[in-house]
Amino acid sequence: MDYCLIAFSSSSGAIQAQRVLKGHVAFQTMPVLREISASCGIALRLPPESAEEAAALLSGSELRPGEFTLYAVTGQGPGLTAEPIQ
Amino acid sequence: MSRIIDAKGKACPMPVMMAKEAITAGEESFTVLVDNRTAVGNLQRLASNQGYDAAVSEADGVFSLAFTKTGAAPAPQASAAPVQAAPGEGYAIFVSRDIVGSGDHELGTNLIRMFFYTLAQSDDLPASILFMNGGVKLPAGDEQVIEHLKTLIGKGVEVLVCGTCLNYYGIADQLGAGTASNMYDILTKMQKASKVITV
Repeated sequence: MDYCLIAFSSSSGAIQAQRVLKGHVAFQTMPVLREISASCGIALRLPPESAEEAAALLSGSELRPGEFTLYAVTGQGPGLTAEPIQ
Repeated sequence: MSRIIDAKGKACPMPVMMAKEAITAGEESFTVLVDNRTAVGNLQRLASNQGYDAAVSEADGVFSLAFTKTGAAPAPQASAAPVQAAPGEGYAIFVSRDIVGSGDHELGTNLIRMFFYTLAQSDDLPASILFMNGGVKLPAGDEQVIEHLKTLIGKGVEVLVCGTCLNYYGIADQLGAGTASNMYDILTKMQKASKVITV
């Protein structure tokens, strides 16, 4: 995994998640990768080592479990893969 | 005897205008006094654009720039030459607010961060990114955007930030990426760009 991407089922969920994560884990706001969704959405990019903590913080927040999905992103360009993290 | 132009206490772009008057008048050697670093940077760029050397010295918060015409000067009338949007000049991005569009501020903040994230990863880069008014809060405050701007600068993109605006908002000391600049340089970048994208 090069980085962890968190995708959301709604933009408001993505904004809410940033409030949850701010001050705990470093993240960047990025557009959802085309490989994950054709629609334009807000996603968060985190270093791989922060994935677990971010998942725990979001699970313990008011976000519904189905509201967010973590992906392991590896490579770039045509060789890019994004696999959901269970 | 070289003339002394006292531009202390003058707001941008007055010091540059005063120096430019002297250059236009054909003065080959003169000294400009200013009291802030933004003006020093602007005057140094003016000097190098106009074929002058500008040695800086500082005493008691006053900066003194000794302008001396160098031999290899570009034509002094260069700035008055017709501006042509040559395709080779690349494009410019003009950012006049710290969010994308109008509407919800938090959504707009997310959109502007995603904009710069995507731009930093793009192969089709602008020649320059120009920040003015509320837009200057991005290179002087938004950590994510600053990081993307550093990446872009590393790839050869010129980032100019309106110094007047930084001073107005009291954030000149927080500029994290790019160069504090002035209306002359920012307008020139727009005029020379093949297109300007306004965000």
